[in-house]
Amino acid sequence: MDWNCIIRSKLGLAALALSLTAGVASAEELLVGAEIPLTGSLARVGSGMNEGISVAVEVFNKTNGKHTIKVITADDESAPAKAIAAVEKLAGQGVVAITGGYGSNNIGPASDAANKLGLPYITSGGVDDSLTERGIKTFFRINNTAGYRKAMVGLLADMKVKSASVIYSTKEATADLAKDVQKELTAQGMTVGMHAFDPAITDFKPIINKIRLQDKSEVILMAGYENDYVGILRAAKVLKPDVKAMIGVWSLATPKMVADFPDLMPSVYGTALLPFPAEFKSADGKLFADAYKKLYNKEPDYLGQFGYVQSMILFEAIARAADKGTLKKGGVVEELAKTDRETLIGRVRFNDKGDNINFVHRMGQHQNGKIAIVWPSDAATGKMNFPGVPW
Amino acid sequence: MYVSKTGLAVIAAAYIAVPLVLGSNNYVMSLIVASMIIGGIALAWALLGNLGGMVSFGHSAFFGVGAYVSALLTMKTGMPVFAAMLLGGVGAVVASLVMLPVLRLKGPYFALAILAYAHIFKIIATEWSSVTGGSAGLASVPRFPELMGFDLSGKIGSYLIILTVLLAFVAAYRAIRASHYGIALRAMHDSEDATRVVGVNSTLLKALMLFVSAFMTGVVGAFNVHYINFLEPDYAFSGLWVTLPIVAAIFGGYRTILGPLVGAVTVYLVDQLIFKSLIPSGHQLVLGALLVAMIIFSPGGLMPLLRKDSRRKHAAA
Repeated sequence: MDWNCIIRSKLGLAALALSLTAGVASAEELLVGAEIPLTGSLARVGSGMNEGISVAVEVFNKTNGKHTIKVITADDESAPAKAIAAVEKLAGQGVVAITGGYGSNNIGPASDAANKLGLPYITSGGVDDSLTERGIKTFFRINNTAGYRKAMVGLLADMKVKSASVIYSTKEATADLAKDVQKELTAQGMTVGMHAFDPAITDFKPIINKIRLQDKSEVILMAGYENDYVGILRAAKVLKPDVKAMIGVWSLATPKMVADFPDLMPSVYGTALLPFPAEFKSADGKLFADAYKKLYNKEPDYLGQFGYVQSMILFEAIARAADKGTLKKGGVVEELAKTDRETLIGRVRFNDKGDNINFVHRMGQHQNGKIAIVWPSDAATGKMNFPGVPW
Repeated sequence: MYVSKTGLAVIAAAYIAVPLVLGSNNYVMSLIVASMIIGGIALAWALLGNLGGMVSFGHSAFFGVGAYVSALLTMKTGMPVFAAMLLGGVGAVVASLVMLPVLRLKGPYFALAILAYAHIFKIIATEWSSVTGGSAGLASVPRFPELMGFDLSGKIGSYLIILTVLLAFVAAYRAIRASHYGIALRAMHDSEDATRVVGVNSTLLKALMLFVSAFMTGVVGAFNVHYINFLEPDYAFSGLWVTLPIVAAIFGGYRTILGPLVGAVTVYLVDQLIFKSLIPSGHQLVLGALLVAMIIFSPGGLMPLLRKDSRRKHAAA
């Protein structure tokens, strides 16, 4: 074998090695951590968000064409100390950012731990205002109490009512929302009666009776969770207060409530991103719905949509940072801060505290076993059935 | 106070070997610190049971009060964290004063009454929102400070703090048990009436043990809040601060001083590092089965089992 032949064969091998290396580099998966409650008291909501995260991975990997994302999931067991440990475990496995988190008491310490490790953290699972007041530059949130308050107050403005009674759980998110709503309605000159309840109670008849006999409000607002709504609506169905509407927030205008409590839901309002059955008009929405049905063989719910949106925003920021070569130089945080795009939950843009300044929820109403979006008018899919109550 | 060579070696390993070997692994250090927090409550709970003869389901009250007192003192008055932690313990003692009337109750009646107190404190923390922040809780609670350039809020720093706190508690527990009070308290176990006849004020002694146990739990609660930096009523007064330590104490051997600590560290680490990696959702099942097996085969817990094993080896040698 002459020298030319040797050199040619060496060059050929080198070229082959280079092409293989290049192949490996382009196929390299970007690791993202999902710290999420899959067991414990927040398991149901955590699983819902986790479905959205999985759908985001499916859609991103199919549509991006250049980068692929692999999510490593760590169950935080709905406990703050384990949420910290989960973030630290994921960091040890080489993730470039964290998506997930549910409950402000878990999100706070977990995002703090992520910040110490220099990892961006994005969530939709905690609406406590203190989360965005900590001055943490790596923290991002796509929803907040203000968005729920705007939706409730906006609906009441359309109804042109003058008085409301608010029944609210003393839990952090519900109490915050109830007080925010009260402040804004009072500022608008409305009469507002406040009725707090301990999360452990199940009999709401004394509160409903008080509203019926003392407040005599035009509408009842409910800030609670599934079991609370069921208890309040059952009590109201028995006592039949003379109100024009029963309005709740999260976990109420959902396909699950339609299926489980058909007798309690007619004409009841709750926050909803989409009507049921879901109608997706945008290309992104159709991609999400198709992937969701393929993976889970059911209609998507709001938890899945939030999980999807927060994760897609994160994945896109990671991809942009990877393109610029700033992935390990704080590039993901910079790219997240620059986010400005239409999503399934509306336009997302973060302020300098990492909060989505555009977040406004929509209000849905249970109508004939379906859910119609009735506020705001530009997103409405049906006409508001007002006045209307389940009894 | 006498400390055996093995004891000294274990203490030296805990202070030197653990930070050196595991200090760079944030995840494992995080689990160790969390397990020691459970261990601290388990120790305080076992002390009340062993020396005071009382079974408590309400230690979350002391944990929560200690956490709130320490967090509020540092946030509202700017008090240094360590001083506030001690006052967190004192706060828990003050909280235990209102429980004195139930000291005359026995067995399940005492356990349930103290559980009710825990719920009352949770409601106070929720409703007294002008001070406690209500259900929204307190965010950005001050961390542990730097000491001569060493950041105590880091994993190693936090570990060394809780280790020191627990060793101080163990020393206090041993001293009490070896004292005249300890003898009287153990005698009360056999017959409270008989000890009363010989002039022992059993109610006073039980109250003192309640104070000591409350103080310890309060300090651990205070440590936890400066470690986690966040506090809200549901978390501070969670039932988990009762159930997990009881499981740990029974697993390790609640009749011994070190049993609750060994039980907490073993149960927590084995569950999180081994069972959880094998069964990500549902690993608690294995832990439950293990606890049942331990109660059946060694009702005294892990520590007596280890001692029996070591004695057998010595005898064979």
